[in-house]
Amino acid sequence: MSDSRPPVTLMELVLRYRRRIFLLAFLLYLVLLGVDLATEGRILPPTAYAYLLFLLLLLFYALPPLYSSRRLTRYYWERTRRHRLALLGLGFIFLLVAVALVGPFLTADPTRVNFKEKSLPPVGFSTEQFTFDITTGQIVTKETPGTWSHPLGTDGEGRDMVAMLVSGARVSLQVGLLATGIAIFLGVVLGIVSAYLGGWVDNALMRFTDIMMTFPFFLLLIFIVYRFGQSLELIILAIGLTGWTGTARLVRSEALSLRTRDFVVAARALGASGTRIVFRHLIPNTVSTIIVIATLSIPGIIVAESALSFIGLGDPTVASWGRTLSAGQRALDTAWWIAVEPGIVLFLTVLAFNFLGDGMRDAFDPRSEA
Amino acid sequence: MRNYIIKRLAYTLVIAWGVLTVTFVLLRLGPGSPADKYLANIAARGGNVAEVIANIEARYGLNKPLYEQYWDYLVNLVRGDWGWSTSTSMPVMELLARHWIYSAQLILLSFLLASFFGIAIGIYSAVKQHTRTDYLATFLSFVGISIPNFWLGIMLILVFGVKLGWFKTYYDTGLPIFSLANLEALVLPVFTLSTGMMAGYTRYARSSTLDNLRLDFVTAARAKGVPERTVILKHVFRNAMLPIITIILFDLGAIVFGGAYLTEIVFGIPGLGRISFNAIFADDYPVVVAVTLIGAFLVLVTNLVTDIIYTYLDPRIRYV
Repeated sequence: MSDSRPPVTLMELVLRYRRRIFLLAFLLYLVLLGVDLATEGRILPPTAYAYLLFLLLLLFYALPPLYSSRRLTRYYWERTRRHRLALLGLGFIFLLVAVALVGPFLTADPTRVNFKEKSLPPVGFSTEQFTFDITTGQIVTKETPGTWSHPLGTDGEGRDMVAMLVSGARVSLQVGLLATGIAIFLGVVLGIVSAYLGGWVDNALMRFTDIMMTFPFFLLLIFIVYRFGQSLELIILAIGLTGWTGTARLVRSEALSLRTRDFVVAARALGASGTRIVFRHLIPNTVSTIIVIATLSIPGIIVAESALSFIGLGDPTVASWGRTLSAGQRALDTAWWIAVEPGIVLFLTVLAFNFLGDGMRDAFDPRSEA
Repeated sequence: MRNYIIKRLAYTLVIAWGVLTVTFVLLRLGPGSPADKYLANIAARGGNVAEVIANIEARYGLNKPLYEQYWDYLVNLVRGDWGWSTSTSMPVMELLARHWIYSAQLILLSFLLASFFGIAIGIYSAVKQHTRTDYLATFLSFVGISIPNFWLGIMLILVFGVKLGWFKTYYDTGLPIFSLANLEALVLPVFTLSTGMMAGYTRYARSSTLDNLRLDFVTAARAKGVPERTVILKHVFRNAMLPIITIILFDLGAIVFGGAYLTEIVFGIPGLGRISFNAIFADDYPVVVAVTLIGAFLVLVTNLVTDIIYTYLDPRIRYV
């Protein structure tokens, strides 16, 4: 992007004034948040704000570099594309995002209870159900086949399984993206600060990282959720606030090795300020590491939320996969599909992210061949 | 080397102190007093709530200034007084002493199974790189890593317990630990817990072996006519084991404990995970704290042991 040439396309125009447009958008965002907080009118739910911030950062700081260095983007894309499984994973993730975005408008209400249609099997299966016949006073066994009005069956309270899975997809993606976003953000900030400032700050931060890493992730999560409450926002925050340690260490070590590289030393010799070195040289050169570690930490985080819901520490107001699964375990001998279906989707989601992350790691880091 | 070990020990103590402090801060930072639910629990069993609360606060020192509470908390934990479990009516230490063995049994068996097969498959897969066996092993290890272990456990119960009826789906505490009779009840849980571990170990072993296969001394050994079998077993295997051991021991503390927690809940094994789970829903906070701390200390100890073992295993490493 040369500054002497007049801007030609819209994208270049946006690129040139990226910083200013971002600040403007961020200001608008803050105003909206302020108004919402001041009036308590709830223009948007709290998670929507997190999403907006995520989207803003993505729009201004992740996509433009991809555009301005198209050759590199194409190179990475070609390398990722060679992994068929990574592409498959990416496809599944896109599908899941689409389902989570559009699905809730097309499916039944996942909270609607209907005891007349409880424990219906999926289409193609049938079960024996015991009902009490009022007229004869007898318990009768009735063969109940699955129906197309509930293609994947219903749970023990007659809720549609498709609707519950769709709602669960939304929960899992929310947790996966937002918690990872928070964790990565914290990790990058702490890692860069630690590497750049060095000295006692580095020492203190890394000792704190060691302490946080000592807690088994899931146990710490259980402890925090037990102590602070079980809303979805809190769970996302708790995962974000505990999941940054690996990123911080990795970013720190990358930044440390970058700091002594010639181009950084040259920049400093030319009089570049500290912020310029951090934002122009250190962060952009760790981006590929950050993207890979983010992709690879999403599955663990999604499973952690499902496991929390599974043991009954999830948000009781949302139909997450883990909660459906735990209801399914109690009904295992009468309605197997309640436990099977959410597990399959969860498994496929985790698998998709793992495939994608692995493919990307190979693409971004030609040295490792795991 | 002795200096290194002493330094490493001192550092472990510092981190242990940090772990206790973080736990204390989290306990105090939460809404209300950590003893609220706990107190309500006692009060619900009869008696004047206010009076009971006053008594308990005096007894547990909750009316003291915060720094004194912090000091008492540290001193009590170090002295082995880990509080009183209301839901089971015994000291937390006693509760832990009764139940840790069930977790140990599960983790140890899974660990042995997973490390043996995981490492063997990983090395074999690396030696046969770019063959169909290798691709299959890699794919399966992906599946193993991605399958949520609590769901795998439920599926095993569904297929082998409910449908086929081969195994009991509930753990019988009457059977002696580490006995043959007990083995039947442990087949499914051990399989559940070890699947993820095995998949992870396969990957580590494979990449570590691949790294070593590329090195000059392997080429040299082959060039001078050492049989391939000896090259793999004597030259590659020994060197590849170093990073594998490190990663496996790191995992043992951090990841396995979380996996065992869920496996115990799914199969009703009365280990530490299960008592923590019960304590959460009985609002018995000292037990929840205790299990969290034990998990952290386990990681601390395995990390320490790994670092010390490493100095013995790898003569190239010299610590000052």
